[in-house]
Amino acid sequence: MLKADNIVTYRQFLAAAGLTWCLFGILIGRFFQIQILEYDWYSQKANSNRIRKVTTTAPRGLILDRNGQILVDNFPTYVLTAIPWELSDKGEKFEFISTVIGLDSNTVSKSYKKYYRGRFNPTRLAKDLTFDQVSRLEESRINLQGVYYENFPERYFPSRIRGSHIFGIVKEVDRDVRNSLRNKEEYELGDMIGWSGIEKRYENYLKGERGIIFYEVDAFGRELGYVKDLEPTDPEPGLNIITTLDLDIQYFIEGIMKNRKGVILVGLGDSGEILGAVSAPDFDPELFTGLILETTWNEIRNNPEKPLLNRFLQGMYPPGSIVKSVTQAALLEKADFDPNTLFHCDGSYQFGDRLFGCWWQEGHGELDLTGAMVNSCDIYFYKAVQYLELDQLAEMFIEFGFGEATQIDIPGEVYGLVPDKDYMNERHGRYNWSKGALLNICIGQGEVLVTPIQVLNYLNLLATRGNAYRPHLVMVDEPPVNEIPTLKDETWDRIISDMRLVITDENGTGKNAEPDIPGMLVYGKTGTAENAHGESHAWFIGWAEYADQKYSVVILLENAGSGGKVAAPIAKMIFNEIYKSDKLVYK
Amino acid sequence: MIFPRSTEFRELPTHILWSALFLTSVGLAVLKSISQHSSGGLFQNPFSKQLLFLIPAVMLCILIYYTPRSLIHKYSYALYFLGIILVILPFFGAPQAGTHRWLYVGLPFTLQPSEFVKICTITALARYLSDHNLQMKKFTSVIIPIILVLFPTIIILQQPDLGTAIIMIAPILPMLYWAGASFFHLFLLLAPIFSMLTAFHTLAFTTWAVLLALIIFISRPKFMMGLILFFGNIFLGLFSPVLWNGLKPYQQNRILTLVNPSDDPLGAAYQIIQSKTAIGSGGLVGKGWGSGTQTQLKFLPVQESDFILSVMGEELGFIAIAVVLFVFGYFSVQILKYSYLSKDRFSSLVMIGCATIFISHVFVNTAMTVGLIPVKGLPFPFISAGGSFLITSYIMLGLVLKLSINYSD
Repeated sequence: MLKADNIVTYRQFLAAAGLTWCLFGILIGRFFQIQILEYDWYSQKANSNRIRKVTTTAPRGLILDRNGQILVDNFPTYVLTAIPWELSDKGEKFEFISTVIGLDSNTVSKSYKKYYRGRFNPTRLAKDLTFDQVSRLEESRINLQGVYYENFPERYFPSRIRGSHIFGIVKEVDRDVRNSLRNKEEYELGDMIGWSGIEKRYENYLKGERGIIFYEVDAFGRELGYVKDLEPTDPEPGLNIITTLDLDIQYFIEGIMKNRKGVILVGLGDSGEILGAVSAPDFDPELFTGLILETTWNEIRNNPEKPLLNRFLQGMYPPGSIVKSVTQAALLEKADFDPNTLFHCDGSYQFGDRLFGCWWQEGHGELDLTGAMVNSCDIYFYKAVQYLELDQLAEMFIEFGFGEATQIDIPGEVYGLVPDKDYMNERHGRYNWSKGALLNICIGQGEVLVTPIQVLNYLNLLATRGNAYRPHLVMVDEPPVNEIPTLKDETWDRIISDMRLVITDENGTGKNAEPDIPGMLVYGKTGTAENAHGESHAWFIGWAEYADQKYSVVILLENAGSGGKVAAPIAKMIFNEIYKSDKLVYK
Repeated sequence: MIFPRSTEFRELPTHILWSALFLTSVGLAVLKSISQHSSGGLFQNPFSKQLLFLIPAVMLCILIYYTPRSLIHKYSYALYFLGIILVILPFFGAPQAGTHRWLYVGLPFTLQPSEFVKICTITALARYLSDHNLQMKKFTSVIIPIILVLFPTIIILQQPDLGTAIIMIAPILPMLYWAGASFFHLFLLLAPIFSMLTAFHTLAFTTWAVLLALIIFISRPKFMMGLILFFGNIFLGLFSPVLWNGLKPYQQNRILTLVNPSDDPLGAAYQIIQSKTAIGSGGLVGKGWGSGTQTQLKFLPVQESDFILSVMGEELGFIAIAVVLFVFGYFSVQILKYSYLSKDRFSSLVMIGCATIFISHVFVNTAMTVGLIPVKGLPFPFISAGGSFLITSYIMLGLVLKLSINYSD
């Protein structure tokens, strides 16, 4: 073998090979020592060394009203889990469990299949067990090897109100939900996560932090106690959230909206705080905690009245006459329109080849701008708006926050629509629309669409001469601010005094909203918005000034008819309620 | 056809190839057991990730196999400098887990350039030691190879990655020994390290001093030279505790954590205990594939790479471990054999270098899992999950297959 031109000698090769085999020999020897000679010791150690890491669910933070009353709370329930590896006679045990807790045994094995993540992981069998049920299972502990239970706080709603669209729902984290999360490592299957409303928006505040307990468990699954060196950590409850809501006002307006369809928003003009908000029809928030039945869920989802739709954020409505103040502001600011200009209303107006009618078919006769506002005369605006370009009007809409997000602190807001020249060109083609479109838009009809929450912000801006904070539902140190519409003082004066006349004038469309409370001044505007879904939507917006505070109210009743006749009286009820229920000390 | 020419096929050391493929399959089987219940994408699951990385690994192996020996020889220095640039690159990125080990390439995985540099260093070293008609008996001709190795090693130490740095250093001694350096010179290289390490323990230091004197006496250098060597080492030893105490506590800590990192919150000792318990409780035949309680209950840390042998020990038992280690021993000695048989200095040196890297990886990894040495995060070749190292292993396999055939070049 040995050749002269090999670079190393056979001895060198033998030394290298020998050393290599020595190293491998040492390693194999060591394995022999551990695995064969010391097998019993390590085997025992492995059997007693089953430290099981159990995490405990943290209760979510509470949601309170502005006076500290609990609106959303937690209720202790129990979750039953099994460790598949320790579980023998599955069928028999599931049968036994179902008879004790009164469930279909199919449900138990279905849940077992749904949550199975491997033989060594706790798998959920049933949830929402009461203390009673758990005690009964505990009596038969000996037959239920491998079955465990843990405390699980569920949402419940102790107050009189529903607030379903404000609080939103929590959802159980399943595989799909977990995969869709960005911070998925913070959630375990079966956890609750805020899925809409305040629950979603403030999830990070509300969720809290899981506790961890290390149990030492022997080969038979018997718990030997806590592990010495691994300190258990208690779950950290989520932070509580104080909302701007007032329990009594919310309860009152929810009562009004029972069996009605639409929105009521009540807020404080200056601070933008929302005292109450209803989108009707709504749903029972309790349905989404605990076991929701497939049929119930489908019923809600397929309901033609759309109870799941949050109308004050996601409903896009034609505003009708409530936005005439925007047109008024545009006329005074952008067109140097003389408010004393008189136009004659005889009930209809011919523009091009189209005939535009006033809502008062007999005609209002001779009017100035104030008269047109008070009577909500359409013809006057058709004539006056000839002084404006579409984009000038659109700019004014945007100054009052339409067509963009109000940044309300619950997710899902839509922006509505403020049509400008570019939009109209794109939608209808450059030469296929005329100034006739402007006639519709200036009285809040046609393409323009708004959400009730935008309307509340608009109303607050009017009430405070542009100095209102944006509407919000949770108390914060620094509420988001509005960009102040740049109007002349005279314009503000005129808009506000006209809105006062809408309530006080004997012809005023909003006179039904006057509560006749000494010291309370109500300002407002009605709207009756034609739409493609039948009867007109009834609008009333207005604020009451009392004891240095401004209470703003937005009412929208879908397909209910005239704003002045239907919506304004409801505003009066709310102003009365505010007065009666001693809520006038807010600042 | 992978091996088109029948003459070459006859000479291809198929037993080396089969050993590597066998180890890879065993590794995949173990990874499959770990990945059973892991959800998530392709790159979160160690099994499918390994399977995916096998594609470029095998392709590179074949590519190397078809690269002419002369080309490998010609570009070995260029590759060395390219390698150096690659290990420096991660320092320009943000540190990942406090280290600069990984390179982001815009893909859902990262690359660890230090893995590839191992090969570049071996080929560069092999070229230096084969090209020049070196007077290996001269001590100075040992210095340049050491600088060649120390340069990337020091960069890797800065990342910091002690495990890989140790592996980088490992081939230098066998390669110098292969190239004909005298035993005494190799001893002189190691002496200062021993002097410094033993200095903290009186008995160990005394024993070392006696041993040192004995070896210097036997090797008979010039008298003055012998004196300088002996006292130089003794002074270095005596001085090192002073030097150590002169360091600021945070500097001491930095060195200590480098030697014994405990990135696991439960501590390195916990890892070793869990690993030994896993292995020991596996017994002769193991608890069965997918049924290891230590593994599946996640008591065993980093099971897919550093502690994969513990998974195997627990689930498949001593017999499987012995077979795997035996096959690896056979694989390494076969490479040594071809290195010895090769009549081409460069080929021979590359092969001994590769063999050293394989053997030191196996030794450090395995000795760690059974608690013989402190925890060092090093993977087990062909078996542990880890894309960069899998590719490196297959490139080295390709080099060995290539250079062992053409030993008559």
